[in-house]
Amino acid sequence: MSAGRVSVLNAMNDSITFLHSSDWQLGMMRRFLGPDGQARWAQARLDAVMRIGDVAKDTGAAFVVVTGDVFEHNQVERQTILRACEALKRIEVPVVLLPGNHDALEPGSLWSSAQWSGHAPDHVIVVTDSRPLEILPGVEIVGAPWRSRRPVSDPAAPGYAELKPAPAGTTRILLAHGQLTSLSGGMSDVPTIDQAALEAAVADGRLHYVGLGDRHSTTEVTERIWFSGTQEVTAPEETHPGNVLKVTLGADTIEVEPIRVGAWHMVEHHAELYDEESLTALEDFFAELPEKERTYVRLAADGSLPLPLFSRLDATIDSLGEVFASVERWAKFWTVRPAPDAADLDALQLSGPARAAMEELRQALAGGDEGAGAALTLMHRLARDAG
Amino acid sequence: MRLHRLTLRNFRGVKDRTVDLPGIGTTVIVGDNEVGKSSLVEAFALVFDFPDDSKSTRIRDIQPVGQDVAPEVTVELTLGGRELTYTKRWLKNRSTELSVVEPDGRRQSWTGREAHNEAERRFAENVDPVLWQTLMVGQGQSLVLPTPADAEPLITAVTAESGTPVDGASMPLVTAVEHEYLRYWTRGGRPTGDFAKSAQHVAAAELAAEQALKAMDEVLADIRRAERLALDLADLSGRLDEHLLTVEELRERKKATDEILLRRDSIRSRAETARARLENHTRTRLERERLLVDVERFTKADGELAERWTDADQVARKAAETVHAAEAALAEVVELKDERRAEVQDVERLVSSLMDRAELDRLLGQQAELVDVRARIAAAGTVLDAILVDDAMVNALEDARAKIVEARAALAAGVPEVSVRRLGGEAVELSGTGLDAGSKRNVPSSLDEDGSVELLVSGELVVGVPGQVEVRVRAGGEAATLRAAVDEAVRREKDLLKKARVKDLPAARELLRKGDLASAELQEARRTERSLTSGGDPAERIAVLTSRLGFAEGEEVFEEPPSKQPAVESVPGQMSLFEQFEPDENAFDFEDLEIPEPLDIGELATAQRRLENARTGLAEAERLLGDAEFAAAQARKAADEDRSEAQQARARAELAGERLAAAVEALEAARALLADEDVETAEVEATGEVEAVLDELTAVQEQVDAAGADQVAGELADALAVATRLQGERDVLRDSLRTTEGRLEQSGRDGLATRRDTAELDLAAIRSEYESLKRRADAARRVYETLGRHRAEAQTKYSEPLQTRIEALGRSVYGPSFRVWLDDDLAVAERELDGARLRVESLSTGAQEQLAIITRLAISHLVSTGEGSVPVIFDDALGWSDKARLRDMGALLGRAGDHGQIIILTCMPDRYEYVPRATYLKLES
Repeated sequence: MSAGRVSVLNAMNDSITFLHSSDWQLGMMRRFLGPDGQARWAQARLDAVMRIGDVAKDTGAAFVVVTGDVFEHNQVERQTILRACEALKRIEVPVVLLPGNHDALEPGSLWSSAQWSGHAPDHVIVVTDSRPLEILPGVEIVGAPWRSRRPVSDPAAPGYAELKPAPAGTTRILLAHGQLTSLSGGMSDVPTIDQAALEAAVADGRLHYVGLGDRHSTTEVTERIWFSGTQEVTAPEETHPGNVLKVTLGADTIEVEPIRVGAWHMVEHHAELYDEESLTALEDFFAELPEKERTYVRLAADGSLPLPLFSRLDATIDSLGEVFASVERWAKFWTVRPAPDAADLDALQLSGPARAAMEELRQALAGGDEGAGAALTLMHRLARDAG
Repeated sequence: MRLHRLTLRNFRGVKDRTVDLPGIGTTVIVGDNEVGKSSLVEAFALVFDFPDDSKSTRIRDIQPVGQDVAPEVTVELTLGGRELTYTKRWLKNRSTELSVVEPDGRRQSWTGREAHNEAERRFAENVDPVLWQTLMVGQGQSLVLPTPADAEPLITAVTAESGTPVDGASMPLVTAVEHEYLRYWTRGGRPTGDFAKSAQHVAAAELAAEQALKAMDEVLADIRRAERLALDLADLSGRLDEHLLTVEELRERKKATDEILLRRDSIRSRAETARARLENHTRTRLERERLLVDVERFTKADGELAERWTDADQVARKAAETVHAAEAALAEVVELKDERRAEVQDVERLVSSLMDRAELDRLLGQQAELVDVRARIAAAGTVLDAILVDDAMVNALEDARAKIVEARAALAAGVPEVSVRRLGGEAVELSGTGLDAGSKRNVPSSLDEDGSVELLVSGELVVGVPGQVEVRVRAGGEAATLRAAVDEAVRREKDLLKKARVKDLPAARELLRKGDLASAELQEARRTERSLTSGGDPAERIAVLTSRLGFAEGEEVFEEPPSKQPAVESVPGQMSLFEQFEPDENAFDFEDLEIPEPLDIGELATAQRRLENARTGLAEAERLLGDAEFAAAQARKAADEDRSEAQQARARAELAGERLAAAVEALEAARALLADEDVETAEVEATGEVEAVLDELTAVQEQVDAAGADQVAGELADALAVATRLQGERDVLRDSLRTTEGRLEQSGRDGLATRRDTAELDLAAIRSEYESLKRRADAARRVYETLGRHRAEAQTKYSEPLQTRIEALGRSVYGPSFRVWLDDDLAVAERELDGARLRVESLSTGAQEQLAIITRLAISHLVSTGEGSVPVIFDDALGWSDKARLRDMGALLGRAGDHGQIIILTCMPDRYEYVPRATYLKLES
């Protein structure tokens, strides 16, 4: 399912615009970025929140809803909470936050802590129950906050199960968090959200918009049911991360527009390496990537390279690591091997024991000895440099 | 290269010398020190190194001292297959000539600098400097083991023989590999440097991550705990609320039944009172019955005990009478015994008196004898006191008499003897001094008619007839001395006689005899006296006995003895009167003693028989007394027991009386309160009262049962207990929840999740760095080990040809167990002999030298077939080897000559006398 601009005829002049975001997961850490990359990326995620404030100003949004996982964990450090509060202050309209599975209203919850209540800006509202909240005259928000990280039933249901159809002139928005039964593929180990029931609620006028969180890619489930996705990418697998949804609800219309607020890229790349040309192609791929300092590349490679090229590959990746936020050899899919041929060895003009040692390593490599490959590459480099 | 001939002129101490060397074989050049052995070697070096115009000090040094001559060297040698003759003269008339004969016989010549350059080029081309240096052993260098690895001919030879190419080209690689390896590992194979540090960082980060994870796990556990507690608390609160409703309902029901229960309590109280009263009356009745029984029982006992007392008293009195009678009998027997004792004492006194008389009789006899003896003692003592002569005195007198006779004889011989005779009537008068008319005669002052006198004149004799003649005879000077000696002897005898109080010597002898008799008499009398007084002085005993027996009490018995005779008869010639014998004034006087008639012995025997009879009577009386005393003691003991029994009976009787009185008093007191007949009536009334109240109680209990009042109270109590328990449980849950929530709040403040994630992030980064390092380290190690192994194998193969030759040569000296191992420089590193493998540094000096020589010979042998061979030169070696080794080494040196040119320079030819087939050259000075 792809996200995109959705345009619905606006039949009424009287419409409401708000922003939908989710899965900020402030305090999240990514091991593959390393300490330096991690620090910059964490700041980037806050920057993206602040950009939501800019978008709100630009679009005239009346409020912002965040559908779950504002924080990575209930036990994040104080600095993360205080910086989040500062970022929230940059959003000038009311912000409604829904506790998700990461920051559930469980005992010891961050939301009931003095650190939060002591610093949270006044225009920020945390949904702690399922009572309808009139955020604006005629606009009612209902939410299904997570009370435990392991709910026993459909985590969205409490938000709308008891609802009657909205009174005339009232726009009702449901905030919920969790995987859809239809999207999880039955793989989820926690209860999922019943998409059909949701659609029914939308269809019978109990709900006008369902804002969902938990999925990091911006995803349109139906015209009125959306995953906003995370404000800043968290993994290469995410398809459309880094957006905030601008939602405009008219009496019978809806318009949803993803607006990019993220600045980072996380890329997965698979390279087939077998000769100089293929290696050069890989080098070109890296050269062409934009915003390298904010880009993480997870690199898979297979094939085999002559010793000089293999050494070059090592050197290339080492130097790319200095430029990019991070370039990771994807261990699971890193099967490229050195393939020394007789010409390589002859070129070194080695004789006697040195030649015999290289030959032994070459044969061991051919027999599948991984260690021999690394040794051979090293010996090749040393011999070349010494020669 | 082969050396053929060497000619030195004006070279150090050598004026002109040519040495011819065989091209193959061993040559021993012998010469004393300073004959120029070493100059041969030096000359060879200088001729190639220094041009003839050299100003080097080394050249100047070879010029003979004080001679302005030109040093010159000619060398003939084979070099690269060509015959060279090379001559050089330095310092004066300098010249250089080189002549080369090609194998085909062509000859070429050079002179001057060209010759030098050509010779230098040809030498450098054909002689490997390392090999040359290796095989030329200068003086004092024989111990140095060769390190010939860089010698080209040797490399060529071993490569050709082993088939292993030389490794030299890969040395930079070896160095680089080792350098790379040492970045990560120590030589011992332990991680080092950044790699080792990285491993430590991983461990530290793992620990930190583990701790952070654990802390976070505790938080998660707390969250689950708190969730469960919250659920439990909600459940419990619900149950508690429900239960409290039940409690309220029970309370209402209980209020209704409380009135009936109150009434029942009142009746129960009254019933208790009535029951107590009844118990009181029953107790009174039982007490009265007991008092009556006591009085009756005590009265009876009192009578019995009084009777027993009376009986016992009578028995005691009877016993007292028996004691009285026994004591009277005892007194009679005592009297009898006293009489008998008095009788015995009387008879004893009589017997004693009679025995005293008998003793007195005996003592009086003894005393008379004693008086007699003492008179004899006194008489003998008197005599002895008067005699002053003893044996010594008699001897002295005899000596004095002899001296007089002797002196007189001398006088008679020494003085004139004048005989004067009156022939007529004319008076003849004699006078003078020192005249002696003999011992019996005095010198007459005149002679009678016809009278004559013979005189010894020691002084002067005047014989005169008055008015007619006067004749003076005067003795010589000697006469006076002789006369004085006679006078002195006479005076001495007189002194002795005066001292002894005797007239002359015979009188003294008579007195000495009488003294001896008196001494014998005295001794005998004293012995008798001692035997008479051995039992004490009889006089004292007699005095005691007479006093005791009543004879002549207080009178003196003894008087003075009557006679006063001299004890010793007068002795002729005695010069003084004898003293008188004085009697003992203390002696007992028997004159006045009234001696009784002697005792009759029959009287004493009669008295003794009486005494025996009296004593028998006394013993009989004493036996009777013992019997009477025993009987009296028995009676007294029985009487004491009976009296004690009577006293006890009396005490018991009195006690029973008191007890009876007390019982009677108590009974009277009880009766004063309540008469016997009223006691039972009161009890019956109380019983009735109790029964009435119990009936009432039964009635009210029926009402309670009907209303279920008791159950309601129980149910309420149970319900309240349950409520309390539930509240307690709820409080515990609430507290636990609060505690857990408090902990969670704290952990929230601590940011434990962030800490965990940070720790894991750090760990991942550190681990990644470590793994990267480890990959490199492993690769470096793999390369290092693989290359090292191959190099070691190559080294083994490469060194094999040289090793084989060294071992072959060495075995001819040391036997078949000799083995060596070479290092990278092809130098011998270790040697094994008889199974003992040692580093060469550990070998003895001799063994090191031998090994150095063997190694050089082996190298020479190995390169001998090639063009680059050079002579082996030993300048003064084998100084460290013993004789046995010298023989083997000599053989070895000789054999080595088969493969090349061996030149040995020595001043000690005996070291090399065992070298077979050697050419010996002797250098003369």
